[in-house]
Amino acid sequence: MQPILSVHNLNKYYGNQVGCKNMNLTLYPGEVVGVVGESGSGKTTFINSISGNLIPDSGKILIETGNETIDFLEISESLKRLLIRTELAFVHQNPRDGLRLDVSAGGNISERLMSIGQRNYGNIRQTIFKWLDKVEIDKSRVDDFPRTFSGGMLQRLQIAKNLVTSPKIIFMDEPTGGLDVSVQAKILDLLRKLVRELNLSVVIVSHDLAVIRLLADKIIVMKNGEAVESGLCDQVLDDPQHSYTQLLVSSVLQV
Amino acid sequence: MIELNKITKKFTLHNQGKTNILVFNNLNLKINPGEIVALTGPSGVGKSSILKMIYGNYVFQSGQIKINNHNIDHIYPRNIIELRKNIIGYVSQFLRVIPRVPTIEIVMEPLLEINSDKDEVREKAEKILLKLNIDKNLWNLSPLTFSGGEQQRVNVARGLIRNYPCLLLDEPTASLDSVNKDIVLNLINEKKDSGSSIIGIFHDEYSRKYLNAREIDITKISDAK
Repeated sequence: MQPILSVHNLNKYYGNQVGCKNMNLTLYPGEVVGVVGESGSGKTTFINSISGNLIPDSGKILIETGNETIDFLEISESLKRLLIRTELAFVHQNPRDGLRLDVSAGGNISERLMSIGQRNYGNIRQTIFKWLDKVEIDKSRVDDFPRTFSGGMLQRLQIAKNLVTSPKIIFMDEPTGGLDVSVQAKILDLLRKLVRELNLSVVIVSHDLAVIRLLADKIIVMKNGEAVESGLCDQVLDDPQHSYTQLLVSSVLQV
Repeated sequence: MIELNKITKKFTLHNQGKTNILVFNNLNLKINPGEIVALTGPSGVGKSSILKMIYGNYVFQSGQIKINNHNIDHIYPRNIIELRKNIIGYVSQFLRVIPRVPTIEIVMEPLLEINSDKDEVREKAEKILLKLNIDKNLWNLSPLTFSGGEQQRVNVARGLIRNYPCLLLDEPTASLDSVNKDIVLNLINEKKDSGSSIIGIFHDEYSRKYLNAREIDITKISDAK
């Protein structure tokens, strides 16, 4: 099997300041890779740099579409935009960053569909209902504005909006970050189901090791912009080799 | 078939004065298909560590672990993920699940990895839950509020719903009453008879005898202790 996404020696600096340095990642279809580390360790810079939100200074990003291998940093801006609307998706920590608040819930979901050329109102409406159902938002809310939604609903709407075009690679930056724990459990369950049903490949950033343990197959531990340890998620959390990972794992509060 | 050849395992605690703890030195072990091996030895001797090395949770410093001729190699996490999907099953001591997910779905999950027919999988999950005396009224509830024994049986159901060629069992009967213990032991025997290589930790003599397990005292197969 070929990796669907591979990142080689990626570097991103802010002036002299290291954003992330020498980062590598291999993501296979159906796999979830978690990126952990304390705040300021470069997690968000890394995920933004590999998803098209930031332009890295150097490195290589290869995306396998099934027909061809795309060199993500070398392609034209228009092709990149198309990829970001179709094959890739980005779920922000704050759903308000990923949604249009002055457009109805249904309108938010249909945006990506229309951007890839779907015009049939009936079909689009049907797809919207299918996705509202998948993320457990009541159909009757389809024409309501997101600003009338709760935080957890907004996050689920953002997930629906992103997944509606069946992207192959999903990037998530702290998708359960601002949510209370009961809502967080629901989102985690939803994400896990979607990953399995749709064979999604996911890169997820979180500072919460418990979230990563439940979702991720592999893990990258970052510190000061660099990966200090990576590998099988269970192994890195159960038998961490690097002193920083040992510190991180042993600092988690037991409930 | 599970094979451990010349395994060395140590823990280095970087933040606690770089303490080195040697757990195994020159550990050798082989579990054949259709065989149950029961690990014995005092607490802290490394019984769970052996299971965790086989499942890939623990790294080892030298030697080789082979599962049906596939190497456990942490350089290639992908291979371990594939092995877990297809070959190795693991019943851990404690249930680790997402809160609020119904019991039935937790039990169905491992089978859904290889069978996308939800109705068929649900039927199998219901069957094994019935067998393990989990009350029907509980199936749609999260097991996190269940009693210890119930949680353990949910964990067993999840681990035994599939037929893995290799099976790792960490105290699968520890908190069960005698009736349910026998039910679980019978299920394990069925797996053995179907040709699985099984290695486990069973706290009581009764379970080990019931399973006709080959007992291995870890202190006698590793030079470290």
